Order: sequence, then C-alpha cells, then structure tokens
Amino acid sequence: MSDVVIAGYVRSPFHLAYKGALAKVRPDDLAANTIRGLIEKTGVKAEDIEDIVMGCAFPEGEQGFNIARLVGLLADLPISVGGMTVNRFCGSSMSSIHYAAGQIAMGAGEVFICAGVEGMSRVPMTGFNPMPNPELAKSSAAYLGMGDTAENVAKKYDISREEQEAFAVRSQQKAGKALENDAFADEIIPFTLPDGTVVDKDGTPRPTTTAEDLAGLKLAFDENGTVTAGTSSPLTDGASAVLVCSEEYAKANGLTVMARIKSMAISGCAPEIMGIGPVGASQKALERAGLSIDDMDVIELNEAFSSQSIATIRDLGANEDKVNLDGGAIAIGHPLGATGARIVGKAASLLQREGGKYSLSTQCIGGGQGIATILEKA
Amino acid sequence: MPENTQTTTINKVCVIGAGTMGAGIAAQVANAGIPVLLLDIVPKDGDNRNAVAEGAVAKMLKTQPAPFMSKRAAKLVETGNIEDHLDKVAECDWIVEAIIERLDIKQDLYSKLEEVRTAGTAVSSNTSTIPLAQLTDGRSDAFKNDFLITHFFNPPRYMRLIEIVAGPHSDAGTVEMVKEFVDRKLGKTVVDAEDSPGFIANRVGTFWIQQAVNSAFDLGISVEEADEIGGRPMGVPKTGLFGLIDLIGIDLMPHLMKSLTSTLPKDDWYQQIARSEPMIEAMIEEGYTGRKGKGGFYRINREGGGKVKEAKDLKSGEYRAAARPGLVRGPAAKGDLKSLISMKGKVGDYAWSVLGPTLSYAASIVPEATATVVGVDDAMKLGYNWKRGPFEMIDAIGAAHLVERLKESDYPVPPILEQVGDKTFYRVEDGQLQYFGTDGQYHDVERPEGVLLLEDVKRTSEPVSKNGSAALWDIGDGVVALEFTGKMNALDEQVMKLIQQAVPLVKSDYKALVVYNEGSNFSAGANLGLAMFAMNIAAWSEVEKSVRGGQAAYKALKYAPFPVVSAPFGMALGGGCEICLNSDAIQAHAETYIGLVETGVGIIPGWGGCGEMISRWQENPRHPNGPMPAVSKSFEIISTATVVKSAAEAKEYGFLHHKDGITMNRDRLLYDAKQKALSMVDGYEAPEKPEYRLPGPSGAAALKLAVESFHNRGMATEHDVTVAEELAYVLTGGNTDPIDVLSEADMLNLEVEAFMRLVRNPKSQLRVEHMLETGKPLRN
Repeated sequence: MSDVVIAGYVRSPFHLAYKGALAKVRPDDLAANTIRGLIEKTGVKAEDIEDIVMGCAFPEGEQGFNIARLVGLLADLPISVGGMTVNRFCGSSMSSIHYAAGQIAMGAGEVFICAGVEGMSRVPMTGFNPMPNPELAKSSAAYLGMGDTAENVAKKYDISREEQEAFAVRSQQKAGKALENDAFADEIIPFTLPDGTVVDKDGTPRPTTTAEDLAGLKLAFDENGTVTAGTSSPLTDGASAVLVCSEEYAKANGLTVMARIKSMAISGCAPEIMGIGPVGASQKALERAGLSIDDMDVIELNEAFSSQSIATIRDLGANEDKVNLDGGAIAIGHPLGATGARIVGKAASLLQREGGKYSLSTQCIGGGQGIATILEKA
Repeated sequence: MPENTQTTTINKVCVIGAGTMGAGIAAQVANAGIPVLLLDIVPKDGDNRNAVAEGAVAKMLKTQPAPFMSKRAAKLVETGNIEDHLDKVAECDWIVEAIIERLDIKQDLYSKLEEVRTAGTAVSSNTSTIPLAQLTDGRSDAFKNDFLITHFFNPPRYMRLIEIVAGPHSDAGTVEMVKEFVDRKLGKTVVDAEDSPGFIANRVGTFWIQQAVNSAFDLGISVEEADEIGGRPMGVPKTGLFGLIDLIGIDLMPHLMKSLTSTLPKDDWYQQIARSEPMIEAMIEEGYTGRKGKGGFYRINREGGGKVKEAKDLKSGEYRAAARPGLVRGPAAKGDLKSLISMKGKVGDYAWSVLGPTLSYAASIVPEATATVVGVDDAMKLGYNWKRGPFEMIDAIGAAHLVERLKESDYPVPPILEQVGDKTFYRVEDGQLQYFGTDGQYHDVERPEGVLLLEDVKRTSEPVSKNGSAALWDIGDGVVALEFTGKMNALDEQVMKLIQQAVPLVKSDYKALVVYNEGSNFSAGANLGLAMFAMNIAAWSEVEKSVRGGQAAYKALKYAPFPVVSAPFGMALGGGCEICLNSDAIQAHAETYIGLVETGVGIIPGWGGCGEMISRWQENPRHPNGPMPAVSKSFEIISTATVVKSAAEAKEYGFLHHKDGITMNRDRLLYDAKQKALSMVDGYEAPEKPEYRLPGPSGAAALKLAVESFHNRGMATEHDVTVAEELAYVLTGGNTDPIDVLSEADMLNLEVEAFMRLVRNPKSQLRVEHMLETGKPLRN
C-alpha cells in the first residue's frame, strides 16, 4: 500500500460575496478554471485522474446537479474522469481529500483532484429552500445560526470582545504581510471576467484594520453579545483544488511531492458550540499519528470566528505563533466548501516554505463537528 | 419604466448645474427612465474633475426623502464636467441650465452652448429670478427660438409644479415638446407664466411669508400661535408658516427678499412690506438656519437625554418649551375662512393681517404674472402645497366681503376683485367648471388631453351607487370607478358591501371597474377604530365576519367576469394594498407608497394579502424555485411591515407586477387606469384560481429560526416574534405537507385562523390602540 501525498495546491482569488469581483461568476465556472490551473501547474496527466471530488456546502442552484461532474466537463477533462460532490458544510473539501486518501489506500485509484467551491453570492448560506425538521429544530441546536454558536463559545470560554478583536487584527496583519511578500501569487489561479478583466488578487483582506475600527462595529448576532462582522469570517466567493495521489504515482510521473498525509479524523461535538469541533478532531488525528500538538510546525486553523479560534487554540494547547502564518479566514475569507482544501493545500505549501516537519489543518463544522488532517513534509 | 400614452421626442436630457435643484431635476428625469447627463464645474482641488457632479449623485443616494425612485434610476445619470464634456450636449434633446443665479455666468455658459449643442434642441433655464429677455440677450436667433424658462420647485421629485415661461422668440413647437415631456414624463403640472419677477408661486409665496412674519412681530403673536392660526385653518401645510421657513431654511429668506426687491417695480406692494428682523438676522448669523442648522423657530432639545420640542420666543429671542395654544375653535378650525378672519381678538386680527394682504396681492398679479386665476391657484397648490388656491379662498370668503374688508383696512383692491363683484371666481355651469377671466367672462377650465378627474365626473353626474364609505361612478366608455369616501379612505364593511353590489352591476351594464379616488392617499387600510371597538367588547364573531367579508369582496373583484384595475397613489396600506393585489392589474402613480403593514398593529394581512404576495413571488421568473423562496421573501416583506417609497420600488418588492403600469403625472392616473382596463376588455377571462405548494411546518421552523436570530440581535421584540410566527404559520401553509396542494380558500382560512388568534392577544390590542391614539406603531 502506497502513501498518499499532496502534489499540488491552487485556489481562485477570494472575493467578498455580493459586492466582490466574483459576485457575478458562476461557481462551476470558477471551479473549472481553478482545476484547469491545477492541472497546468502540476503537469499531471489528465487521463490518469480517477475522480474529481468536489466539496460544496450548499450544492444546489448553480452548485447543483452534482457540480463535480459538470466542472470536469467544463474544464475539458477527459470523459473518463469521474465527479462526486461531497457535503460536510465547511469541512466538505477536507473530506474530499480524506475520501481520496482512502480510495488510494484501497487501491481504488491513483490520482484525484480534491476541490471545493462556494459561490456565496449565488447560493445563499442555508440554501434556497431551508426546511428544517421542526421537531429537531425544537429539541436541539442543530440548525442554530453560526453566529449564535460563536457567541456561545465566547461565553463558555469567557472570551472578551477585545480578545476577539485583537485576534482578528492579527489575522488581517498576517494576511497583509503575506500580500506584501506576494505570498499568495503561487497559489492563486487568475480568473478572467467576460469583460476581459483579470481577477488575480484577493478582494477580501483589510490589512489596515485596527482594534479601534473593530471596536466601532455593531454586534452582529446578539445585542448583549461580543461577536461582530469584524471578528467573523466574511461571506466569500471562491474555489480551491488540491492534487492527491499515491506517492509512487507522484514519483513515477515527476510530480512535486509537497507532503504526505499522516493521519485524518472526524469528531462530533455539541451543535451549539460547533466552533470547538477542531479540538476533538485534532486530538484524534494527533493520537492516530502518534504525535503531540507541540510536534506541529504549521497549524492551519480555519477562522470561522475569532471566538472559536481562540477557544480551539487554548484547548489544544497550541502555540498561536504557528497558526495561520499567512492569515486565516477572517482576513482571507471563507467560501464554505472551498476552505478545507485550501487549508490542507496551504499547510503543505507552508511546510515547504517554512521547513517544518508536521502540520495540522483543522476546522469547525456547522451542526457540531470538527475535521482534522495531519501532514508530514515529504 | 413609466408608461405614457404619447411619446415625445426627448430621449436624452442634459442638466448643467449639480446643486440641489439641478441634481434633483436630473434625478427626476432618470426616474422617468430617460438617460440624463449631469454636468458641473471642475472643482478647484483634487484629481477628480467630475467630483462635483459625482458627489451630487452620491449625496442624493443618501438623501431622504429620496430624489431617486429606485437605485436603477440612479444608473441613468451620467456625470461629467463642463470643461471636458460640454460637447456631449450635442446628444441631448433638452438642455436644462440650473447653475448659480448670476446673469454673467449664465450668459457665458449659453455662449458656449451655442457652439456645441445640436440646433433645434430645447434649452431652458431653471432661473427663479432672472428675466428671460436678459438671459438670451446677445444670443443668436436660433438660440432664442429654442430657449425657454422651466422653473421647477424644490424638491423636484415631489413638488408637482413647473412654471414655464416662453419668450417672444420661443418656437411654439419646442415649447410644446418640453411641456409634453415635463407633464407626461416628469409628472409635473405646467403653469404658463409671464416673464415677470418671481413668476407666480414664489412671488405670492414670498409675499405671504413676509407678511405672516411681519404680522407676528407687529401683533405680538408667538410662533406657535402663528402656525396654529396660519396652518391648518388656512389650508397651508400643517408645518404652519414658521415650521415651513425652518424646513426651507431661514437663510434663504434674505436671498428671496433681495432678488424680489431688486427686480420688482418700486411701487409693488412687496417693496413696502419687505423688511428684515434683527432677531432673524442674528439667528442666521449664529447658524440657527432651521432644520438643516442648529435649530430654527423650532428645535428639538435633546439635552439630558430627553426630546423636548421648543419654540423661539419672538420677543426675547430665547428658546422655550413649545406651547399648544388651542386658540382656533369652531368652524374656523375646520377651514371656514370667513369665520377665521371675523374672529375677535388676536386670532382674527392675525388671520386677517396675513390673509387679507396675501389674497389681495395674489389677485393683483393676474394677468401680469399669469393669464388666469387658475394659474395662480395651481401654482400655490402645487408649488407651496396650499390646500386651496388664493382665488378658491376668495370664493370661500366671498369676493364682495373681502373687498369690503380690504377697503376697511385700507389695503389695495386689485381690479379683478372689483370686476368679479358679488360673483365668484369659479362656477359650475352645466356640470362644467368655469373660471372668471380678465375679460369679465367665464371660461371653461380645460383639462389637457389624457387627463380625467373624478372631481369633474362628480360635477356632471350622480353616483351609480353609494353608501357611507364608498361610491361608484360612471367614468364613461363603460367603465365604473369605485371610490372610497370614508375618513382617510378607511375600509370597512360598507366598502365591502358596495364591492359586492358592484360586481353584478358592472357585469350587466358596464365593461370594467377601476378602483380610484382623489383623497390625499389611496387608502390607509382597514378602519382600525371599528376594529378596536369590536375588540373592546370582545365581539369576536363580528371581527371574524368582517375579515371573511373583506376576503369575499376582494375575491369577488378578483374573479369578476370583467377587468378590475386598481390605481393607487400616495399611501396604499394594509387593506388598501390588498385590494390592489387582488386586482387584475395596477396602474400606479409614481409616488405610491404601498405595503402590508398589519404586523405593525400586531396582526397579519387578512384580506387575501398573504396568498397574493406568495403568488406574485412564485410567478417571478427571476426568483428561485422550490417551496421556500417565495414564502421567505413574502415573510421578509410582510413581517417587517415594509412600505416601499415609490411605484418603481413597488415593482422590486412584488407589490406591482412587471406588466403593471406607472403614471408619472397624478392628474393622468385615472385616465391611464381606465385605458388599461379597457385594453383588457376584449376576450377577458377571470384569472384561474391559484394552487399553493407550501413547505408546511418545516418552512415555519426555518422562518422561526430567522426570527429568533432577529430577536437575539435586538431587532424584534417578544411580540414581534409572536406575530411573525403566526405570519410564518400562514405563509408556510399551516400544517400542510410539501407534496400537498392548498387552494386559495385554504389560504384564506389560514389567514382568518391566525388573524383571530392575534386580535385576541392583549399585546396586539395595545398596538391597535396605540396606533389609533398616536398614529405610530407600538413596539411592545
């Protein structure tokens, strides 16, 4: 049985939903363009690809009809390449990597494109037809709004508004520094709009954000709470893609092996505090890898909210200096289905850049789950 | 975009000058769906050479009341500057100059325009003070041919008056083209004015303001007393005189005075009364310029966290708590002017000292400022929001009586007053409204082609049927108009009864029905007073009967075998909105403020509004499919009691269907609605009954989650949550299942069910009571 490796990572530019440069772009077109970019960048032979596994949190409307298959056709991939859409909300495209890793380990394919997409301008969060189970809605917090869960975490962990804002400012500053160093140029596949405009940079980061700016914002979810739009990840349009293959295949075909998948895990938690989902999942993954949090050189933690990020870092005993070196979702944006692949791909590329050995990528998931992936530098 | 019965040749307009007036005119052109180029000077500082015009558009997007009727309209305004883009006026069919009131600067601009404009395009000035002859001095004959004055009033979207001055050289065809355009497309009422200082409205208005201020100081009348006497009883805006000055800006007064004193002949009466009060000068000096400044004759004092209305003491110059003098009682309070000016003491003295000279002065400007008394009356009603024009007021007092009083007071008596003698300025002869001309003869008041007024119909005929709350009128060509006649055009069982009578009547003897009236608003909805009464005595079966009665009447209209067109204008709220939703088509005035506002009084729409709103959103091809989207959208609109701010916006919210019409000119609304109804007569078939596939409790659960989130954010009160959940219950189809089909009758039953639960809720009753007492919603 061969080891499974990450052999390429790209993403589209990330832009704010509704008002950003990608608001009028169909998510399938955006994903297809990103995948074409991945194939060109890695040089993988398209005919060898077994499947496109596409994460999407609200796979309906323009993201419907099994978007993964359609994206394969849009991207002019050989007809033999399959397509499957995966939904685990924010964990969708990390799950697509886990699925591919399992398939490769079983010998059910050698090369997979694990991608994710969310056009949040095009398909609203909750979808067009939210129809919760009325009984479950009464008896549990399964459908609780994400902002409310962030408030719950802030309360439970006694995280002040100031702490949350300081964290958000750091995220913005890290993204700002990464922008200065052109650190995203390698990963972004530009998208050309119908009018010929080339979108090749993120529209999301606000590097000049100060604590004072954030202190002036209105509370977004609870009039007596602490969470604002400034300490939440913004609604975002974007796509990401990672090339996952067996180490043998990568070597035989001259692909760049970025990192090996060391372990993976899923873990449920209480829906009302879904933001601490990464804790259980990461602990499981660390145990499976036989490693401790201190062994991690790079940590990519999706920042759904400041409050859940701080709680997770605290409970895991992680060193914040290793977290989100180029900024997290508060600054870069969180296109739900695309984030998981982004933070695994990003961790792999940071291991190469920073020279560490292990990385942890982890995120919280609405409804009460966490997901984690540990990579080892190849 | 607005529909019109006739096209003009103006397809693009240029407005030069992006101040309040110019920008507002440009916005109104855009509101009509016409592209407009807005130019202003290049600013002294900064890199952006279009900053002035761009800034004006940006500011208008934030201004309330909004100059634009929709965001889409704003996109029709192209901005630029007069140095780089003046050549673009060649593409425009009408150039409106609205720059600073300085003759040299205007003349300089015109000389440049001569070089770049396309010959034959209309050029007009929005000047309010400079005579046309001076403006065109030195221009070519061709320019003079195409030139006229188009004097708009502020704000251009909302004030219906436009004074048009044609010069001796103005080409009749060009003037006609502009008149047609401002009438049909911009919705303005054209009053022809002579080339005389201040034209009509500002001339009378400035005199009136000056005289009212002078008299208050001279007679020792307080600001509140003056406004009480000079406001409602005289039929001028309820702000009263001083409230009005606060609104337009106290600093504007010296400008108006200066411009009129410099242009009016020395022997004009205004010259004698023009004076400035040191106290008012000091107010302007210190920034107390009215609502836009630190305060005016009134201000709201928020010191200590409170909100106290204060008024200026005209003697001491200090602010003190505003009083409610309660001086005017009896017939005078209800607008009986003769009683008002005859009252003993300061009420009568003040009323006479304002009204006597003002009416005399107004009568003196015919025909110098405009050819007929109708022109003066229209100008004051539409340009200053007076309820009655000066000559209508004179008729109410009696011209002979007025002349007597004027002579007693040693005020001038203008010739036309002597001439009319003991007759009136208006009379009805064979059902035709006539006015008294300067030739001593009566002439018909002529309506432009395409204008049909119910007030004219009423003069010539008796209602086809009527009761205490509504009437049916034969408006010709086989069309009947249903008019609401109750207070505020409130809807009650009488209205529903007449609708039920109208259906068989129209079916047998007529072709179509138009729902229309000429009140200040289309309808503010159901008669809440009656509802409160029924609630107080717990007459629940009566309440339910009236809900079901309204549903039955509206559905009878909807399924009647003839076209029904509703023609809303102003406010069309609650039941007033629902009758529109149940009509085959709507022809709305551009200034229609429609909405289902029931949640504000703790209830939900009960006359079919819930189902109709869902149907409208389900039919919208641009809206996503599935059981929820139409429900969610309807819920969002109804639960927040959304009232749209224009007919254009009503289309965005689904109150108006895309095929419904918008009429820009209020006077053309009935005609357009009638034409719309007639156009549907041939082959008319009543609509098929809708079927609803709704999400049921799952959808209600989703809406409930959303409401809870609003509640957490402090944006919905506890009772808002209760009302919203009842609304969600109805809109999601109660206990239905997504695979089941609900009929319209099912939806109506759900409405009744939820409505009846809510009216029994004491918190909803408090809301109704509060609305009746204060006119404002209670947030309990």
